[in-house]
Amino acid sequence: MTDGGMALVVDDSPVNRQLLKKRLETLGLEVLQAENGADGLAVLAANPGHIDVVLLDVVMPELDGYQTLEAMKADEATRHIPVLVVSSVEELDSVVRCIELGATDYLTKPINPAILAARIDASLAAKRLHDLEQKSLERQTALNRTIERQKQELSRFLSPQVAALVSSPEGEQLLSGHRREITVAFCDLRGFTAFAEQADPEEIFGLLAEYHRMMGGAIVEHGGTLEHFAGDGVMIFFNDPVPQEDHVERAVRMAVAMRDRFVELSSLWHHRGYELGFGVGIAVGYATLGRIGFEGRHDYGAIGNVTILASRLSSQAQAGQILLSPRAQMMIEGIVESEDIGELTLKGLTRPVQATNVVALR
Amino acid sequence: MPDGDAPARDEAVLNELKETTGDDPAFVRDLIETYLADAPVQLEGIEEAVAANDAEALIRPAHTLKSSSATVGAMQLAEASRALEMAGRTGALDAGVRAQADAVQVEWNRVKAAFQAWMGEQPE
Repeated sequence: MTDGGMALVVDDSPVNRQLLKKRLETLGLEVLQAENGADGLAVLAANPGHIDVVLLDVVMPELDGYQTLEAMKADEATRHIPVLVVSSVEELDSVVRCIELGATDYLTKPINPAILAARIDASLAAKRLHDLEQKSLERQTALNRTIERQKQELSRFLSPQVAALVSSPEGEQLLSGHRREITVAFCDLRGFTAFAEQADPEEIFGLLAEYHRMMGGAIVEHGGTLEHFAGDGVMIFFNDPVPQEDHVERAVRMAVAMRDRFVELSSLWHHRGYELGFGVGIAVGYATLGRIGFEGRHDYGAIGNVTILASRLSSQAQAGQILLSPRAQMMIEGIVESEDIGELTLKGLTRPVQATNVVALR
Repeated sequence: MPDGDAPARDEAVLNELKETTGDDPAFVRDLIETYLADAPVQLEGIEEAVAANDAEALIRPAHTLKSSSATVGAMQLAEASRALEMAGRTGALDAGVRAQADAVQVEWNRVKAAFQAWMGEQPE
């Protein structure tokens, strides 16, 4: 027994229409009627999305079964509706043609009620499956649009890599904490504290905005993950969450690019009377990365000696210096020209560190 | 040619129709009324096509009359209409078509009389 659904009977014989209508109603369907193909297409157009199956006669005036079928299959709105061709036994070659044109199945006249019930059941099941797929596709599309929009929103607050990570399948695993070797670059401004003491808050904000814009461009270009801005201090790491084989090189190239661009910025500031310099510390080592913070406010961060080392190197850097940790220096040797600046005693570290300054890229 | 001695309508077909449409006497009566009203329309189409010697135009009314006659159990008329439809499908009408069309008309008169008698027997 069929449960619900709406059928359209297209047949020029009122006797056959009437009988088919009765039989379909007995099966629990609602029935619409049309007396030729043109009429049938008009009924389809007037009931978009409502008709679940079409029973189509072949020999009809105006528009015959073939033409009707062709028109239905050419129209996106009616293409998927199952069509049962109703024909007499001597018309089996026309049935073949109809199947080729996209008809689902056929029924021979006089119609056997049991076969009709079976064909209708199969057609309605196929139609329901199609409708379900369509609905799930639409839901999926809407969901994807939402995720895309959220990603875009997130990427205004987070670094693009972290924003992508949040919405990726392996996101939860990475966010919950993992250990990996990373390169950390820590940058800050020489003379910023003195400047901040004298300048208006508006001036400070304006200057930081220019500085961050310049830094931001270089970070994105080199694929760095921005951990945070803290006033003039900026921490960036590489090789996480997106693995980068050349993470040390990327960090050094980014730092050199920043230093080059800073020259322009600092001469501009010099004209306004601000004397600010740019220093970077770069270190390589293992860190634990993931979600840091508390419910309601989390950051994606790195924890490990490597971040402390980069930060200390940065605070030791003179204006224009990019200081490398010994391990960073070793891993980058072929690519940069560097000068040894001797052992530095860094706050919080028991042993002095042999640091080098990046003079230029080779 | 229809067999004038065979019954105009097959009682078994109507009985089966009744049984398979939920034993609804009113429905079967309505269906026969529709048939009695529609058959003359198809016969007129057949007449016009034969008079105009138009094979193409003969196919559809002959086909429809064949089909609906078979549905209600007018088997002789269905068979006679089928012969006309086939004549139309061959593409050229020969002298025999006139006689075939006349035979369809004669059989129709028999069928009509048989159904009218049947209608009279049905409880209102």
